[in-house]
Amino acid sequence: MSAARTPPSNQRQQGQGSRQTKPRRGARSQRTGVNSQLRAWARHHRAMALDSMRRLVRRPLGSLMTMLAIGVALILPCALWLTLDSARLLDAGLEESASLTVYLDTTMQESEAMQMASTLREHTGVAAARLVTAAEGMVEFEQALGLEDALMRLGTNPLPASIVVAPLDTSPQAVHGLSERLAEIPGIDEVRLDLAWLERLRRLAELGQRLTLALGVLFGFGVLLIVGNTIRLSVENRRQEIEVVTLIGATHAFVRRPFLYSGAWYGLGGGLLAWLLLGIGGQWLSAPVQALAQSYGAHFTVPGLDWKGSAALLVSSTLLGWLGGWVAVNRHLKEIRPR
Amino acid sequence: MIRFEHVGKRYGGRFDALANIDFRIRRGEMVFLTGHSGAGKSSLLRLLMRLERPTRGRILVAGHDIDRLHTSQIPFYRRQIGVVFQDHQLLFDRNVFANVALPLQIQGVEPQEAARRVRAALDKVGLLHRERALPIELSGGEQQRIGIARAVVNKPALLLADEPTGNLDPQLSADIMRLFEDFNRIGTTIMIASHDLALIARLHHRVLKLSDGRLTGDDATVEEAS
Repeated sequence: MSAARTPPSNQRQQGQGSRQTKPRRGARSQRTGVNSQLRAWARHHRAMALDSMRRLVRRPLGSLMTMLAIGVALILPCALWLTLDSARLLDAGLEESASLTVYLDTTMQESEAMQMASTLREHTGVAAARLVTAAEGMVEFEQALGLEDALMRLGTNPLPASIVVAPLDTSPQAVHGLSERLAEIPGIDEVRLDLAWLERLRRLAELGQRLTLALGVLFGFGVLLIVGNTIRLSVENRRQEIEVVTLIGATHAFVRRPFLYSGAWYGLGGGLLAWLLLGIGGQWLSAPVQALAQSYGAHFTVPGLDWKGSAALLVSSTLLGWLGGWVAVNRHLKEIRPR
Repeated sequence: MIRFEHVGKRYGGRFDALANIDFRIRRGEMVFLTGHSGAGKSSLLRLLMRLERPTRGRILVAGHDIDRLHTSQIPFYRRQIGVVFQDHQLLFDRNVFANVALPLQIQGVEPQEAARRVRAALDKVGLLHRERALPIELSGGEQQRIGIARAVVNKPALLLADEPTGNLDPQLSADIMRLFEDFNRIGTTIMIASHDLALIARLHHRVLKLSDGRLTGDDATVEEAS
């Protein structure tokens, strides 16, 4: 920034130059020009990055506290996001298992039912069809409900034979269409597709996503406030320095720079802590979660951040810190600058 | 170099800190600004540093109306002015060298070149041997000389000083003034606000006298005669 602005000031000096020292200075500036300004800019960035880092290290406990606060604020939305992400995987698995249950007329013989099953297998849009005879259906029913005795007393099997059909296309519309077509086939009493719960799950996932977004924004704002407050204090502590450098010609960018770096370091530190805590938390939860999933006959692993997720977490936490620094320092520079 | 054209500064809509100030300072002049406290010396310097804007009139520095500077240009304007404060405003968290180097760091001067110029400035004020010292380890007079070294390190065309000898004993004050005269001799335009009338009288420079915000005396003739 300063690189772009300084040349005019040099020209101005040259224009006035009546003193011996001035033309010399102007000539030197011209010889090195924009390049040297750029180098000076990069040098100051490097110096301020190191200086702000040193200041953080000089009071380790305070810095760690700030970073922990940032880390904790970041963990919640991250954890929720991870959970949702794995739920989405689960959802994809469920979609594949979306199937239709075709109930045959109760009067149908077993041989006819077997023929119907093979007919359905040939049907376009059907990936697989598995016959569940009335007897098999009865066994499944009894096992599922634990009602052996009650049903034994019925004497006859009231259940129809059924065919479980896996559709080729598992999108909700395609499955609906298939069910309507199948229902028209004579000998088929009813086609059941129980997609409602799947739909509900999807709605729930959407709700979760919005919740994550809202929490992410909220906690991101929290990080801004944490960093902003910390930077506000250090601006306050370095008030005299800011006044002096402003009086001797420092640009706003120059004054802001060390604080922006402090903010970015806080953000990065907080992000690293969040990443570490997420990893530890995941490990800690993994055994009981897997045991729980197994008891339902499912396979579910606790999700962790991959390298992309980790990079996103660190980059966004650093940016948040930087932004917090920016907001705080701008607000307070206005107060400090003698107007 | 400096031209005030009917400049007025009013605070809070009622109180006139400065009224109808009109004068001109040529390049290479050394001028004292006197007056009792509250007469408007500091206000005048603050206007010159572009810390405040006049409520009326114009201030021209090196031919530029400084009221028309864009906010982003102000830092570059200030870099051409060296300022010496009464309380020297050194930064106590860094050594003498770093304090004097500050204006050069702000301007992005190469480190080797900056070191050369800092040493030259420190040599000029006679404190080259203290470059590694912290400001807190220095006496009041030494601190003020460091403040002066910082003000002149980037060879400003204009040097402003606000009560630079306010806290010093007469001997040290005289030393400081001699230092300013040295800088004036090599062409720097200097304006010093001071109420040390005895000291000013001995030095035979032009004196602008302020009282209650008005310019009541300008013995430019004395300076021209001497």
